[in-house]
Amino acid sequence: MDKKYGVYICTGCGIGEALDMEDLVDVPDEEGINCTTHPFLCSKEGVELIQKDIDDGKVNAMVIGACSRRVNFDVFNFDGCIVERANLREGVVWPHPRDTYPMLEEDQKDDEEHFDPVQMKAEDYIKMGMIRLEKVKIPEAYELESFSKKILVLGGGVTGMAAALDAAKTGYDVTIVEKQDALGGYAAKLRSQMPVAEPFEALQTPVVADMVAEVEGMSNIDVRTATEVARIAGQPGEFTVTFKKPGEKIPFDVPFPLPEEMLVDENGKELDAEAQHEKYLEYNEGREDILQLDPDGELYGAVVLAAGWRPDAIEGEEYAHLGVDLTNVVTNDEFEMIAAKGKIVRPSDGKEAKNVVFIQSPGKDEDDADFEYAGSVTSQVALKQARYVRDDYEDGKAYVIYQHMRTPGLQEYFYKSMQQEDGVFMTKGAVTEVTEKSGGLEVTATSTLLGENLAIQADMVVVAAGMVPATKDDPIINLAYRQGPGFRDNDIFGQYADSNYICFPYETQRTGIYAAGTIRRAMTIEESIEDATGAALKAIQCIESANRGMAVHPRSGDMTYPDFFFQRCTQCKRCTVECPFGALDDDEKGTPKANPTRCRRCGTCMGACPERIISFADYSIDSIGSQVKAIGVPSEDDYDEPPFRFLCLICENDAFPALDMVGMNRMDYSPNVRFIPVRCLGSVNTIWIKDSLAQGMDGVILIGCKHGDDYQCHFVKGSELAEVRVKKIGDALSSLALEEERVAFAEVAIDEYDKLPEIINAFVEEVEDLGPNPFKGF
Amino acid sequence: MTEKYLAQPDLGFIAQVRGLGGETLKKCYQCATCSVACPIAPEDSPFPRKEMIAASWGLKDRLISSGDIWLCHQCGDCTDLCPRGAAPGDVLSAVRAAAITEYATPKALAHAVNDPKKLPFILGIPAIWFAILAFITMNGGETMSKIFHAVFGDMLGGRLHWSHAHEGAEHVISHANFVSTWFVDMTFIPTAIFVTVVFFLGLKNFITGIHENAVLEGKTDKTTLDYKELGQALIRVLPTVLKHDKFNECETNKDRATPHMMVLFAFIGLAVVTAVCGTLLYVGNLPGPYSQLNPIKWVANIAGVALVIGSGMMIKNRLDKKDDQITSYKDWFILGVVFTLGLTGMLTEMTRLAHMQAISYFFYYLHLIAIFELFFFLPFSKMAHLVYRLTAMAYAEYGNRK
Repeated sequence: MDKKYGVYICTGCGIGEALDMEDLVDVPDEEGINCTTHPFLCSKEGVELIQKDIDDGKVNAMVIGACSRRVNFDVFNFDGCIVERANLREGVVWPHPRDTYPMLEEDQKDDEEHFDPVQMKAEDYIKMGMIRLEKVKIPEAYELESFSKKILVLGGGVTGMAAALDAAKTGYDVTIVEKQDALGGYAAKLRSQMPVAEPFEALQTPVVADMVAEVEGMSNIDVRTATEVARIAGQPGEFTVTFKKPGEKIPFDVPFPLPEEMLVDENGKELDAEAQHEKYLEYNEGREDILQLDPDGELYGAVVLAAGWRPDAIEGEEYAHLGVDLTNVVTNDEFEMIAAKGKIVRPSDGKEAKNVVFIQSPGKDEDDADFEYAGSVTSQVALKQARYVRDDYEDGKAYVIYQHMRTPGLQEYFYKSMQQEDGVFMTKGAVTEVTEKSGGLEVTATSTLLGENLAIQADMVVVAAGMVPATKDDPIINLAYRQGPGFRDNDIFGQYADSNYICFPYETQRTGIYAAGTIRRAMTIEESIEDATGAALKAIQCIESANRGMAVHPRSGDMTYPDFFFQRCTQCKRCTVECPFGALDDDEKGTPKANPTRCRRCGTCMGACPERIISFADYSIDSIGSQVKAIGVPSEDDYDEPPFRFLCLICENDAFPALDMVGMNRMDYSPNVRFIPVRCLGSVNTIWIKDSLAQGMDGVILIGCKHGDDYQCHFVKGSELAEVRVKKIGDALSSLALEEERVAFAEVAIDEYDKLPEIINAFVEEVEDLGPNPFKGF
Repeated sequence: MTEKYLAQPDLGFIAQVRGLGGETLKKCYQCATCSVACPIAPEDSPFPRKEMIAASWGLKDRLISSGDIWLCHQCGDCTDLCPRGAAPGDVLSAVRAAAITEYATPKALAHAVNDPKKLPFILGIPAIWFAILAFITMNGGETMSKIFHAVFGDMLGGRLHWSHAHEGAEHVISHANFVSTWFVDMTFIPTAIFVTVVFFLGLKNFITGIHENAVLEGKTDKTTLDYKELGQALIRVLPTVLKHDKFNECETNKDRATPHMMVLFAFIGLAVVTAVCGTLLYVGNLPGPYSQLNPIKWVANIAGVALVIGSGMMIKNRLDKKDDQITSYKDWFILGVVFTLGLTGMLTEMTRLAHMQAISYFFYYLHLIAIFELFFFLPFSKMAHLVYRLTAMAYAEYGNRK
């Protein structure tokens, strides 16, 4: 594209009064670039002014010096043009008031004593904007060679069927894969399900049978029972899926990474890469490599993972006090199976079980924890099963001993109705012991609502086994990805398949795979059905984005994708390893294979690449690097006491909006910091930090999202990786006799904007105490 | 309390409490707002939170022997503030009714008084009884005189004559001419003895029960039961009872304190009047009716009016508060009896003074039935709270309930 540059500066919103417009306009003028000012650029008139220049062929790449790019993005949106927003309003004039930073008098402008830090910042932002225009390209959509719009649903239970039905009704072809011989899943085995309709008081027949009938009646749903997925290869839009019979061994079974104990030799020393690879091949003998596509595989566009759960096993020493080895002490799952067969009877002798104690927490009075994987569903199941006892026997008594009774939403009505049932007795408490006594059981509990040391005689005891997500035992999805067949880091989600429960429901750490139902968290049938809709919609969104070369989320609509300059690739595999989404697969030599539709465009690979060969059309080492270089670094040649200069690489997801809020709230911080928003701190390549220090900047700070177990990073790993890289660069700096404090890392949540000025100023002061960068002026 | 308590929920008891006006007993979710709201609950293990869970669990053994259920005056503050729509005040009231039944002998009478289906019997039997007595008095006067004369002669200076009517005062209506004073006393003196025995038996179990429960639940610092000290404690709590100090701490049902006080003092007044009249009759040989100027008539009239107004206000309050406070059959029964008793008493007197003999006799007939209902069912109806609450309050004083 033949770029025609232009700069438009808005003088509205206080920009015109706070800045010396003549000097500002001189910046592009000196480069021979036309600069237009307008008092109200986002008005119809202002936009028309720009549009006219575009129509006249005068401009197609422009800097708009006005408000933050987070506002009016729809107004300053010109087809086929590159638009760069220089943040003069939230970034310059709003946070730095002229009361604090007075404008220079005419006679002060040229002396070596006075400078105007606010004007300097504005001019830098215009310069940084102009250089970026030179360095970026308009992205072109990536097109897949083959494309399928079919949706694969893993799991034929309630969730899977609901997702399939939702997707099929919108016109998509769906395949349901079910390991068992019939559809229905766990819900098909129930006696009753929790109420789903007003007044939420009576149990109802499980919806499963109706759903199975509906699924079977849909012509665009292909049901494959007694089938499982051997591997899913490729990427969204063109997943190549190999099916097999459960338990079968086939060449297209996905290779598994070596278990940890095989990564070391007999002496516990870690094996070198080559030896590991050899062992890996040996371990996966008879299995095709991940890059080997199954010629008989079927193409799918996206996958809904609805593999469900299994009841937790309550066994072992830890639960011995609950009498878990006694015949009449059963789990809620076992109780359900008894109830489904008919009247509730004791497993030991088939006698009527009229007195049943439901234990919701391990007790022992150690803490008030519930059983693992227990939650609101197990609470509700206890209530439901108490209902069975009352339904079966007029004089039946059901006791519920809980630490927490969770009945969210309208299920509160069910709780109420059960509470008001004469034969249902509930108390908070810690169960201390379950023993056999005079032909029955005796349950003792302490710290109950009825006082200390309560004893209850029972025919049966039911313990609340939690719902263990299928992903705890098995990767299920069997992805032919270099990073492995399952999801990474599921341990921080308690093995639930998730990526960020709050921010990105349904999304997993693998693009194109959307989790629904109890594999995501414990859910009731009703919740699972609703959840399935969400995942089905996500799968459709994925397909309808991938087919246009767009990112799905969180950078929805982004047309860029990582571009590799392979001639210089050293096959270090860092990009493959560090990609939070497993988007890259390397071949046996270690050359990465990009899978653009798996990619979320965070740029973590770009940040990782030591050879700096990865770039995006509008975001590259050069584009940001040039912006860094465009920042003016005044030295003693310019002023007697030159101002310090700092660079802040700020994550555009949470930290940058927070910074805008700082501006909107007119909170001041050091005007000597230049901010460059980045896609994710994971995309920060250390070369930018090195370059900025080399050109005399006094310090660099990276501000991004919180990481750790409850991370807020939109790309899961970005800010974590950035912190590691910053630590590493510290070592390199000390070898250059630069203090490592000059490079810092900070985390901020989007609601912590008020902390930002503090963070920035603290860093600035710390570096000012160190003194100016000795390389300044070289 | 380290021993374990074996909970044995009693579904029958739950049904019983529901039937006695404690319909909401299972609604409680143990937030304890009630115990905080209660103005008269002790600080140490306050009611009614613990009573509510015991009730919803059907733990009859715990509740029947709890002294705390009697410390409750049914202020209604707890019911008013309950976030779950449970009415602890009404539940405790129902539990008290169940406790009265439990301590009563024979229990059948207690069940009868709480069962609207039995109302025709418990009204009909005294109605027939007094009708027979009236018939004998009206028609068999001469025969009875002869019998009395033959049996007692002129013993005690003629005080044992059949007729107590003013001799030669034909124009004065005397109710003794309708139902003989002898018959009245021959009915009520055995009734009083019966009631005393029933109460005695009930109280014995009651005091032991609440003591054991208090020791078990740590509500007292006493380990043994000393009746003398308990008696002294009873005297100490009397001023509180008479002044309605506890009742006056209530918020929601504050307006119940005054009528209740009126009724209590009316009964005390009427008891005094009855004692004085009995003495006048049997010792002084001065049969009624007495002059309206007689001081005893002043007391009687004031007490009678207070009874009618007091019980009338109670009925009105309950009718006004249909939504806030449950009024069950057991409450209506006793209110009806008390109100009828007062009203028929006053009407008997007024019609007598108006020389409307037949009407006056009729009201007197109703009055006698009402008195019978009140006295005979005293240990079985809600009225028994008179004895149990007083005892429980005395025990709380004795046991240093804090």
